[in-house]
Amino acid sequence: MSEYCLEPASVLDEYKQQFNGAELRELVDVGKVSIAIPLKGEEEVEKVLADHFGIAIPTVGKSVLSEDKMVRVIRLGNDQLFVLLFDQQSDPRSFLANKFGNVAYLTDQSDSWVGLEIRGTKARQALERICMVDLHPEVFLEDHIARTLMEHLGVLIIRNGDDSFVLMSASSSAKSFLHAIITSIRNVV
Amino acid sequence: MIIEHPLLGPRDMAEFVYLGDAALINRPDWQDPDAANKYYEYQYLRDNPAGLHRELWYHEQGDRSWLVVTRDTLTHEITNVELARDVAVEEGRSR
Amino acid sequence: MTQYNRIDGGLIDRSRVLNFSFNGKQMQAHPGDTLASALLANGQKLVGRSFKYHRPRGIFSAGSEEPNAMVQLRSGAYLEPNTKATVVELFEGLSATSQNHRGSLEFDLMAVNDFLAPFLSTGFYYKTFMWPKKFWEKLYEPIIRTSAGLGKLSLQEDPDCYDKGFLHCDLLVIGGGPAGISAALSAGRSGAQVILADEDFIIGGRLNSEVYEIDQMAGSDWVLTAKAELETMDNVRILARTTIYGAYDHGIFGALERCNDHLASTNNKPRQILWRIYSKRSILTAGSTERSIAFGNNDRPGVMLAGSVRTYVNRFGVAPGKQVAIFTNNDDGWRTATDMAAKGVSISAVIDSREIDPRAKISGAGLFLGASVVDTTGRKGIKSITLSNGQTIECDCLAVSGGWNPNVHLSGHQRGRPEWREDIATFVPGKQLPVGMACAGAANGNLTLNSALHDGYDIAGRQMHDLGFEVAKPLTVDAEDESCEITPFWHVKESRKRAWLDLQNDVTVKDIKQSNLEGFRSVEHLKRYTTLGMATDQGKTANILALAIMAECTGKTIPQTGTTIYRPPYTPVPMGAMAGRSRGKDFRPFRLTPSHQWAEQHGAVFVETGNWLRAQWYPRRGETTWRQSVDREVEQTRKSVGICDVTTLGKIDIQGRDAAEFLNKVYVNGFAKLAVGKTRYGLMLREDGIAYDDGTTARLGEHHFVMTTTTANAVLVFRRLEFARQCLWPDLDVHLISITDGWAQYAVAGPNSRGLIRKIADKEYDLSNEAFPFMACKEISICGGTLARLFRISFSGELAYEIAVPTRFGGSLMEILMEAGKEFDVVAYGTEALGVMRIEKGHAAGNELIGQTTALNLGLDRMVSSKKDCIGKVLSQRDALNEEDANRLVGFRPVDRSHQLVAGAHFISKGNQPVMLNDEGWMTSVCFSPTLGHSIGLGFIKRGDQRKGEIVRAVNPIQNSEIEVEIVSPHFVDPEGERLRV
Repeated sequence: MSEYCLEPASVLDEYKQQFNGAELRELVDVGKVSIAIPLKGEEEVEKVLADHFGIAIPTVGKSVLSEDKMVRVIRLGNDQLFVLLFDQQSDPRSFLANKFGNVAYLTDQSDSWVGLEIRGTKARQALERICMVDLHPEVFLEDHIARTLMEHLGVLIIRNGDDSFVLMSASSSAKSFLHAIITSIRNVV
Repeated sequence: MIIEHPLLGPRDMAEFVYLGDAALINRPDWQDPDAANKYYEYQYLRDNPAGLHRELWYHEQGDRSWLVVTRDTLTHEITNVELARDVAVEEGRSR
Repeated sequence: MTQYNRIDGGLIDRSRVLNFSFNGKQMQAHPGDTLASALLANGQKLVGRSFKYHRPRGIFSAGSEEPNAMVQLRSGAYLEPNTKATVVELFEGLSATSQNHRGSLEFDLMAVNDFLAPFLSTGFYYKTFMWPKKFWEKLYEPIIRTSAGLGKLSLQEDPDCYDKGFLHCDLLVIGGGPAGISAALSAGRSGAQVILADEDFIIGGRLNSEVYEIDQMAGSDWVLTAKAELETMDNVRILARTTIYGAYDHGIFGALERCNDHLASTNNKPRQILWRIYSKRSILTAGSTERSIAFGNNDRPGVMLAGSVRTYVNRFGVAPGKQVAIFTNNDDGWRTATDMAAKGVSISAVIDSREIDPRAKISGAGLFLGASVVDTTGRKGIKSITLSNGQTIECDCLAVSGGWNPNVHLSGHQRGRPEWREDIATFVPGKQLPVGMACAGAANGNLTLNSALHDGYDIAGRQMHDLGFEVAKPLTVDAEDESCEITPFWHVKESRKRAWLDLQNDVTVKDIKQSNLEGFRSVEHLKRYTTLGMATDQGKTANILALAIMAECTGKTIPQTGTTIYRPPYTPVPMGAMAGRSRGKDFRPFRLTPSHQWAEQHGAVFVETGNWLRAQWYPRRGETTWRQSVDREVEQTRKSVGICDVTTLGKIDIQGRDAAEFLNKVYVNGFAKLAVGKTRYGLMLREDGIAYDDGTTARLGEHHFVMTTTTANAVLVFRRLEFARQCLWPDLDVHLISITDGWAQYAVAGPNSRGLIRKIADKEYDLSNEAFPFMACKEISICGGTLARLFRISFSGELAYEIAVPTRFGGSLMEILMEAGKEFDVVAYGTEALGVMRIEKGHAAGNELIGQTTALNLGLDRMVSSKKDCIGKVLSQRDALNEEDANRLVGFRPVDRSHQLVAGAHFISKGNQPVMLNDEGWMTSVCFSPTLGHSIGLGFIKRGDQRKGEIVRAVNPIQNSEIEVEIVSPHFVDPEGERLRV
């Protein structure tokens, strides 16, 4: 054993807060991996997703949650997938590399992004103050995703329930991001 | 402005970064005997039309695709939006 | 004085009393009142002074078009100047003061301007302050500054908060009068997403001001019924107190919602919200605004718009006068007379400029047909009027109607021009409208109630059809079309006295004539020369009147004369709302490095680099200047080992079968043959041949590289690489992911760096110089199995490493490095020490890569591969960038070692005059080198590479100093690079 031991720390100290009509919490222990689809390699990636996760590759702007709800595959762009692993893989990249082999290029993004979940009846109203994407329940359906801008920060927003959204943004600016979301909630509740 | 993204639908201009004339896709061959002149034209000589203009926009806060947007510079009407990669392939920018 | 003008009726809650004050005087009113109606109820006629002549002014209108009744609200830091009393919703405890006077409102010392009026004619500024030139700064400007402006700012920070937001809809209804409400009903019943916005605090528009009936009920009751229906619809959102102030591209609108302005306290909620509304369709149902008629002394307190007088009578239960005269050129003006008479207010006269049959019988009122008002009396409140027949009539209120102008403003925000309609003598929206917009009701020239109701409903129905919604069943509503005949009548030619057009900027009929005489023929010129329509009300009651008079002067028709261009905002938008949350520390987001908390705990001084906060240096006890800290950090690093957080460098994961080929195309030097497990320095050019960015790129696998960029260019380089990948070489299989935030990265530099790394790296890794030489890279594990990336690269010139771990371990790694480094007396160093060491080593950085320098200038020209293409290659070979005497990056040291070099100084050869002609280059970076014990610098100088040993002068004309410097190698420390390789 080494003399020294590295202690991991969550970006926002596992923030969790209940507001009147909205709940906000940091999503911790979520593995995040980028999957780049090689040129002309989409079919093989589709096959891996189907075989290993039972997931049909989503179209750009949508995501799919695996049946066991442990894996969400997000299509960010034509050649760009983003995978969330909810089963706390110690090394999410290796976990996926075992399945994808040479079929796709993987990059562990677990530490690049901070994840927040906002849910509750006031969630949409709060997001209205910072999100330019139309989040109307009949427009932005469950499993829809969008990358956009909130208070100058790039954000990936995922609708993961009736009144529930996952918001992911760069980890270095996580504190500013959290502050922006909290302000939005406080301004409406 | 709203740009009708070919994959993502209508998106606010705030998510994009503007570059300029889509002619920038047509980067000359460095081994062309007239390369110096062609690069000079490529780099410095652009049309500035009052009317339809094909231009490059980058969806930086989106799917990070470069787009070729055809926009009327007088009215801001956007008549066509294509993925720049498709345009580049179409225009023969293959190896 | 207790609500001495209050009469029966109105939409106010008489069961409750609100106390407020005006200029310190306590008054009372009721919920539902505006400040203006409350002031009128309390008999306060005089409410302000005009901008230029300081003429006494009273309330003129009942809406956002108000030019006169500008007041300051609240006090202290909450003070808000230039607020229209006519739109301020009254609340308990409101305090308001008048503005633009010296001394009291009643005895304004600046009123002397009124008597100086002959000297303050139009264009006064342009003519007077031209000469003598030297008077400008000392005399004219101070005078103008003290006289300028209306209200006063608090000069304190705004204690309120503001917010922004985004809304989406199928149909945006702009204005909640009869046409707007019926449009919202139509679209709402179709199931579309509808936003109905109105600037007023209750919707209904003129229906709340008139006595019209719809479906046998009062108009205002019909509004409540309709509103109740709309409120049952989930798809309809009513935004009262919300002004749509601008129509932008592609159906985007700007809106200002005044959420809490009507409350005594905002309770820390946003006071106002600036909305961006995305609409598929919009319908402009903004109604119309009444215009005045110009006649002598038509600006006295008590002279009001006739429709507004009706608003005060019907909606607020206030009679603006006890004895009212009416002057009109249209049938609508007569309604003011009949409505007031019905409430028992005495009407002294109705004067109609038309030779018509009387439109009503009004008991006790003299009827003067084909007549006009020539002059008025009463300095602080109108007392009497003189008619064109010479007769004088007493009155304390004169209601004037010159006809109604559709509120076309937003229809013209995309450069559309309104069109003249002769039959109603006014402009209506033109054909070129903002995308998706239609106009209905009075805003579209349908000035009567029944037509407005149907117009709004039917046009919204057509829009629904366009959008694919099922059109709602036709509107069944029982309402009348009141008569609105008009014969244009703009100004009373017999008047000898000044006749006002723009009340807020004090522009008169004479000013228009004079500017015409002086040659200002275009309306745009007229506007700017006279300042007509340029005040905070933007001339809503004045512009059309002035146009008509200008047309008269030039002999053109009104449509030939045209209007000025309409631009946002429709009504003023506070700067606070524009700023939203972007104030103070929330101005922009901060990015924090993984060692931020550690650095804070250890007293670091931080510097903003882009959005990042980086430790600049770490002062220790006893150090009184930054130099002491920085010198110590440099010395200790060069002597033993130092740690610097370099996470901020851009890091890009590059993967793909063609990744190596791609790098070859974006860097001037070759990367295809870089071995796996090796790192290489790379230089990028812009396509024009100028140096752009540099950094190291490591090859982690056959198809896997990690590139670093400078902190400042991280985003830009990524963007350019995506451009190259998608647009220039779309057939390359290469993929880019930004991993800047994913890895915490520390430079570990100094002769003991290997010893320190050895202590934390897991034992199985051989880190000897042979096994892990300079420029090696490897994925290893540290501290018992944690993944890390180790690069043997050096910016300081010492034996050095950069070690990266997933960000979650970054804070912990910093502590471990400092703990494990204790035996070496490890030091944390900041960006200043980093900068000193790179200057000592002669590395180019931001000061040298300034967008004007080439690889040749930087001494990196040999890196440019001749065997391959790369971005910027061809143009970098231009003759002009490769001349014999091109600038070269070299080092400089002062001849007198005690001298301190100055960055930005220019180099002049000995014996030459320090003028541009003799300029040979400039100093880019300087520092005190603790290693050498004197000041050193880097800079560009012509043929510098061939001039080592030469003495030149570093001239600083700004501070009038010059220092003799010697040209030396830029590598002050370890020029052979031996330390890197041990």
